[in-house]
Amino acid sequence: MIEIFRNMWRRKFRTFLTIFGIVIGIFAFTVMGSMALKLNKMIDGGKKYITGQITISPKGSSYGMSSGTLPIDTINKIAQIDGVDKVGAMVSMLVEDQNPDNASMNMGQPATIYATDFNSEFKNRNWETMDMREGKMVGAGSTDNEIAIGINIATDKKLHAGDTYKIHGREFRVVGVVNKTMTGPDDYVFMSITPAREMLIESNPFMESLFVQNRLKAEDVNSMAGVSWKDGYDSEKVATEIKDQFGKDVSVMSPVKMGELIDKASATMNAIILGSAMLALIVGLFSIVNTMVMSISERTKEIGIKKAIGASPRSIAFEYTLEAGIIGLVGGAIGMGLGVLAADIINNKMAAKGAEIFLIEPNFLIAVIVFSFVVGILAGIIPAIRASKLNVVDAVREL
Amino acid sequence: MKEKIIVKAKGLKKSYKMSKRNIVAALRGVDIEVKEGDFSAIIGPSGCGKSTLMHILGLLDRPDEGTLEIDGVDMSRLKEKKAYKIRSKKIGFIFQGFNLIPTLTALENVMLAGKYGGMRTKERKERAKKLLKLLGLQDRINHKPNELSGGQQQRVAIARALINDPALILADEPTGELDSKTSLEIMEILKKLNRKENKTFLIVTHNLDVAKVCKKIIRLKDGLNA
Ligand SMILES: Nc1ncnc2c1ncn2[C@@H]1O[C@H](COP(=O)(O)OP(=O)(O)OP(=O)(O)O)[C@@H](O)[C@H]1O
Ligand SMILES: [Mg+2]
Repeated sequence: MIEIFRNMWRRKFRTFLTIFGIVIGIFAFTVMGSMALKLNKMIDGGKKYITGQITISPKGSSYGMSSGTLPIDTINKIAQIDGVDKVGAMVSMLVEDQNPDNASMNMGQPATIYATDFNSEFKNRNWETMDMREGKMVGAGSTDNEIAIGINIATDKKLHAGDTYKIHGREFRVVGVVNKTMTGPDDYVFMSITPAREMLIESNPFMESLFVQNRLKAEDVNSMAGVSWKDGYDSEKVATEIKDQFGKDVSVMSPVKMGELIDKASATMNAIILGSAMLALIVGLFSIVNTMVMSISERTKEIGIKKAIGASPRSIAFEYTLEAGIIGLVGGAIGMGLGVLAADIINNKMAAKGAEIFLIEPNFLIAVIVFSFVVGILAGIIPAIRASKLNVVDAVREL
Repeated sequence: MKEKIIVKAKGLKKSYKMSKRNIVAALRGVDIEVKEGDFSAIIGPSGCGKSTLMHILGLLDRPDEGTLEIDGVDMSRLKEKKAYKIRSKKIGFIFQGFNLIPTLTALENVMLAGKYGGMRTKERKERAKKLLKLLGLQDRINHKPNELSGGQQQRVAIARALINDPALILADEPTGELDSKTSLEIMEILKKLNRKENKTFLIVTHNLDVAKVCKKIIRLKDGLNA
C-alpha cells in the first residue's frame, strides 16, 4: 500500500498528469451531473404540477404568459362538462417588468406572480399544500393584499413574514414564506386573483383601454385555468371532451400527454449532458490506461524480481490494479472537490438572482467517488493482468 | 546419516527458437544433483547455459526435456501457475545485479519476500531484522538500495534469499559486479551460512578465486556437463 504511493510519487510528474486528466473528467462529470440533477428536479416539480391537473390556456398564448385571456364564461362552461370537478382561474405575470437590457443576464426563472381564485375549490391533485418556512400560505380566507412568497424572492428581497412588498406600485403584506422546493414555486409570489387581474390590466395599455370602455370585465382576465377531474374519471377523456367543445378558443394540456412530452424532453437533455460528461471521462480513462501501460513496461524488471522471489500472479495483478484504482480515486476526489466548489460559487452568485443552476446531492457525490475508483480499476485491470503474465526469465535477463 | 537430495535433474534440454532455421540449444542434456548442505560452483565459458540452468532449477523457466525433482517433489508435472508457491518457499535467488526494488528500503526489500512466502507482518519484520543484523547491516535497514554500496546491496539480497528459509539458494554470479575483495567477503558470508546453518548453495561464477571457495565444482560446456 505504502509502496503504491511511493511509486506514484517517484513518477510524480506523470502521475500528476494522469491525475489531472481524471480531475478534468470527474470535474466535468460532477458539474454536468449537478446541473442535470437540478434541471431534472425542476422538471420533475413542473411535471408533478402539470400532471396534477388539466391546464387550459387561451389559444395563441404561450404557456403562462398572458397575451390572450380566458373569459370567465368559458371557464364556467368548462366546469359544466361531464367529469370535470372544479375549475380554478388563475393569473400569472412577471413581478417586475422585463428589462430587455439585462434579460439575457437572467439565467433562472424570473419572479412570477401566481394568482389564484381564493373562492374556487379547485386543487391541483399533486400539489395541495406547500411546506412553509414562515407564516402561512394564502388561500381561502386570505385578504387581497396578503401574499406568500417563494424562498428565492424572500432571500433576494430580504423579506420575512410580516414585511411589506411593493409589486407594480401596490403594497402587499407577506404572510408566509414557502420552504425551498428547488423548483418553480421558489420564485413565485402567491396572491389572490383579484389584485393580479387589476395589475395585469394596468400593465397592458390595450387591455386597459378596453377595460375603461367597459368592453372588458376584470373577471374575464385570466391567463389560464386548472381543471380537476372527478374521481373515477379518466383525465385524458375529460381533456379530450374539453378540447372537442372549446378547442378553437383554448389549448388544453392533458396530464398524461404533457408528462410524456416532458419526459421526452428531459431524456434528450440528460443524454446530451451525460454524454458530454462521459466523453470527458473516457479521455480520463485512457490517460490512466496509458500511464499504467507505461509504468508497467518501465517496471518490467521490478515485476520480474517480484515474481522471482515468489510473488503470485494474482498479487502482482492486484497491486497494479489497485494502483490504477488509487489514481482514479485521488483524481476523482480532487475533480469532484473542484466541481462542487465551482458549482457552489456559481450557485452563490446566481442565488441572488434566484437562479441556482446546480443541485449538489451527497448521494451523487458518493457515486462519483465510487465511480472514479471503478474507472481507475477498469483502466488498470488489463495492463495489470499483462504484468502478472510477464515472463520472468525475459525480465530477469534484462538485468 | 543418509544425505538428503535437494535437486535431482536428469537430461535437461532447453533450446530457444530464434527463427525456423535458427534454433539455439542452450542446454543439451544436463544432469545435476545437489545434496543438502552442498556448496557447489557452476563454472563454464560464457554462453554455455549456466543461467539457463539456474532459471530451470529455480522454476522460472521450464525445460523442453528432462526430469527435475526439488526436495523430493517431481516438478515436471507442476502447473505453471503453482510454480510461484514452490519458488517462494523453497528457493532463494541471488542475482548478479542485486535486483533490489529501488523504492523499498533494505528492510522492506527483505520483508517483501517474507510476505510472498506467507509470513505474517510481525514475524517477517523480526526475521528480516535478525537477518540484516547477521549480515552486518543493522544500521542500514532503513536505507534505500541507491544509498548502499554494491557489497551492502548484495548482502541485503542474501538476507532476502534467506528469509523464507529455503531448501536451495541459487546465486547467478553473485560477485559479478563486485571488486575482488568484496567478492571474497560475500563468498565468506555465504560459506559461513553454509557451515553454520547448513544452507545449500548453488553458485554460478566466472571467477576462479570465487569457485575455489566452493566445496564442489560443476563444469558446463556447450550446454553439456563437462
Ligand atoms: N531468450 C533467449 N533467446 C534466445 N537465446 C537465448 C535466450 N536466452 C539464452 N539464450 C542463449 O542460450 C545460450 C545460453 O545462455 P545462458 O545465459 O544460459 O549462458 P550463460 O552460461 O549464463 O552465459 P554467461 O556466462 O555469459 O552469463 C546462449 O547461447 C544464449 O545466447
Ligand atoms: Mg549467465
